[in-house]
Amino acid sequence: MESTQPRTPPSAQPSAQPSAQPGAYAALKAAWKGVVKISLMLAVTYLVAHGFVSSLPAADYRSLFGFSNRSAIWIVAQLHLMFGAFVLGVPIFAYITEIIGVATKEKRYDGLAREFTKLLAMAYTLTAVLGCLLLLLLVVLYPKLTGYLSGLFKPTWLFYIVLIFGEVIVATLYWVTWDRLQGRLKKWHLLLGLLVNLWGTAILFTADIWVTFMMSPGGIDEINNLTSLWGAINNHTWMPINIHRLIANVAFGGAIVAAYAAVRFLNARTDAERAQYDWMGYIGSFIAIAAFIPLPFAGYWLGREIYQFSEQMGVSMMGGSFAWLWILQAMLIGLLFFAANFYLWLGMGRIPGAERYTKFQVGLMLILTLGFMIWATPRSIIASGMEMAAMGGSHHPFLGLFGVMAAKNTAVNMMILTTFISFMIYRRGNRIPVVPWATKGNIAQALIIALSTAIVVFYGFYSYFVPSITRIGFSIYQVGAVLAAMALFVAIDIPLLKGAKEIGPIQWGKIAPRAQYALFFLAISFTWLMGLMGYIRSGIRQYWHIYGRIADDSANAFTPTHGHATLMVSAITIVFFLLVSAVFAMAARYKDKDMDSEETAQ
Amino acid sequence: MTGTFIKIFFFMLATVSLYTYVGQLVPQFEEHPPKKQVITPETPTAELVNIGQDLLRGKGGCLVCHMDAEGGNNRGPDLRQAASAAAKHKPDLSAEAYLTESLLHPDVFLVPGYPKMMPAANKPPANLTPAEVKAVVAYMQTLGGMEPTVKVTAEDAAASKKTGAPVHRGRALLDEHGCTGCHKVAGEGGEVGPDLSTTAARHEPAEILRKLADPSAWITPGYPAGMMTKEMTQNLSEGDRQEIVAYLAGLAGKEYSAAGTLSPWSHEGVRLGLVILVFNLGLLLALAVARRQEKKGEAV
Repeated sequence: MESTQPRTPPSAQPSAQPSAQPGAYAALKAAWKGVVKISLMLAVTYLVAHGFVSSLPAADYRSLFGFSNRSAIWIVAQLHLMFGAFVLGVPIFAYITEIIGVATKEKRYDGLAREFTKLLAMAYTLTAVLGCLLLLLLVVLYPKLTGYLSGLFKPTWLFYIVLIFGEVIVATLYWVTWDRLQGRLKKWHLLLGLLVNLWGTAILFTADIWVTFMMSPGGIDEINNLTSLWGAINNHTWMPINIHRLIANVAFGGAIVAAYAAVRFLNARTDAERAQYDWMGYIGSFIAIAAFIPLPFAGYWLGREIYQFSEQMGVSMMGGSFAWLWILQAMLIGLLFFAANFYLWLGMGRIPGAERYTKFQVGLMLILTLGFMIWATPRSIIASGMEMAAMGGSHHPFLGLFGVMAAKNTAVNMMILTTFISFMIYRRGNRIPVVPWATKGNIAQALIIALSTAIVVFYGFYSYFVPSITRIGFSIYQVGAVLAAMALFVAIDIPLLKGAKEIGPIQWGKIAPRAQYALFFLAISFTWLMGLMGYIRSGIRQYWHIYGRIADDSANAFTPTHGHATLMVSAITIVFFLLVSAVFAMAARYKDKDMDSEETAQ
Repeated sequence: MTGTFIKIFFFMLATVSLYTYVGQLVPQFEEHPPKKQVITPETPTAELVNIGQDLLRGKGGCLVCHMDAEGGNNRGPDLRQAASAAAKHKPDLSAEAYLTESLLHPDVFLVPGYPKMMPAANKPPANLTPAEVKAVVAYMQTLGGMEPTVKVTAEDAAASKKTGAPVHRGRALLDEHGCTGCHKVAGEGGEVGPDLSTTAARHEPAEILRKLADPSAWITPGYPAGMMTKEMTQNLSEGDRQEIVAYLAGLAGKEYSAAGTLSPWSHEGVRLGLVILVFNLGLLLALAVARRQEKKGEAV
């Protein structure tokens, strides 16, 4: 990542320069303010919930003001999850960026990490408000289920509250001590950053307990009494969802930060600002795509665990009524790959010498298009009688061949490899290797890519001729070949480009404005995809609150149409972006106000 | 700046509209929960077969893997041949016994060529009651061209009621668990223990819940200790205890959500509130110490 940066950046210096050096008192006061804010929110939530519950008649389900209780929970829970993903994802890569800054001794990385962290303050508040609202709605609208779950997971509530307060304190300290803990004190700031992320991860893992228990309950007996708290926590889907969400949060946070940078780029008045936000957008999108690549593998693990827990649930998810939504997901992921590559190719316009590689773009585009078409081809879906008659069976005689996992695994691995190649080309855009073994290195890299492609395609074809149980094993070889190729390629690339001749520095800021729309597209699509996946994860419980154990007896127990679900996801996405725009607007105006006031106070 | 935001907003609208549009293009259908069917020993065979068909296609979720007359999948054996295959697969069992075994103990015999993957029909997620299992067997027999031989008994129907889990069934639970054998409730029941109709007037819901979980928690004055043992209440699930408390509260003219919302929340709420308060006070103390240290430093 660092090697793509110019040796002497023209104007990519952080705008937020150290402006204050608060002492222990000021830092603690800022943390205390956060704790008081959260305490008040919880107190208000409790009192309002108590007020509603005491005044409303006893019921298993309620609705407020005629609004569907399911829709209310759906919207608020998804918005809370999105903000949660943002505030947990951003510190991860802010921390990584900070470490890169320490390792490379380049100040601008520190400034970038600081800018990322600046976005968090308002987002934390919104996440907490949405969390309290969700809690209130659960208590008031679904009292019976909430009562059962809160009773079952009593110890985790207390733990969760402690974690929330801990996160507020360490995250505030991480922010307000940024300028004070520099130089030889930097190690303490890095420790704070580590704590923020450990705490954040613990919050995520704790919240996942309740969600995953509803999907794949464990640790309860036949009449739903708790037999083992650990069994209820460590249910089938807990760890796969933890890992899947952890990675997805980083990708999501990266995409949102890149979108923020894109807004700032489009509104920039000076070349220096444009250069800074161009670079920030690039780093955000790089992190988003880098985290996005291993996501399908984490998804496969989650899918396998769902099948392990309940074959019926797994089949409903992949081959039942939800199958059409996977086609939609395939379209989204394909478009994300397109947008990522498009951004990289446009970005090569600001790299002197990168025009040498323009000729590869058409080929890469063709592979992506072909992969996209194969990946979006359905097979095991519910078809109407007319559709089946037209196809001559439940599967299309020719296109059906591309609908099976053999073809899809091949396609997605080729799309990942293509995106990787685009990035590697981008990386060496302005550089010419000068090491004596440069030619051999290049040949070795080409052979690695060719070999990996051959393995992926070979197993893709071979999969058609073996039973499904053997075929599943082949996907590991395909994934392994792609991951190994990427690791080996980079292992050669780093020494290969060491001391490389530079054709010219990267012209940060000199990128077409439409590239910024590619970044918006990434952020919007990531958000929409997250909403869709959230719906599928929740929807596969069908008419169960807790799968197979506690049924949903409300009027909203049915699974809605796909059209309705996509409308809901779109509405949530729009509301999220309106809220996040408010956060961005405040962050843009927020010129270290708190720290300035602390300075004045001192 | 406003212009940029408007452009971005419309770009977002266009993107989500595209996804929404594709979402409208795929087949649209709602999936409703299975209908609750009442099966009694008097249910006519033809109706039992129809109920079995509904259960097989709906609540049982059998067509996710199997095929019946309407359609389905071929991950599992074709159910149209299941009844007639009994003689070949298990010659010592009747078709009814073979089908019942395959539903309740699917791993005992696996049809060659099919893997072990079916959950027992009386376990989650299908959770078929004994009467429902018989209805499904009856339907599967007709699928194979046979006459249904199953007979629903009064025990099957009673067991089905037990697992039906209706809401606010406090009174029914008191009868089911034998409480009314010793206690009078709303004018009916035994007189060995205290009248439960007024219990909630004297005790808070949390206390009654505690009593149900551990009968020795407190004893009504005038009644001997040890009459009501822990064994008597150990089969009460948390949900059932909540239902009973809600019912007793209602008898005493009080309101209590069977969800237990008031109980755990007021109880937990106070505890969490205390923790939060201590946390805030602790931080205030730390703040005061830091301020003092800083002032000392300034003075020096």
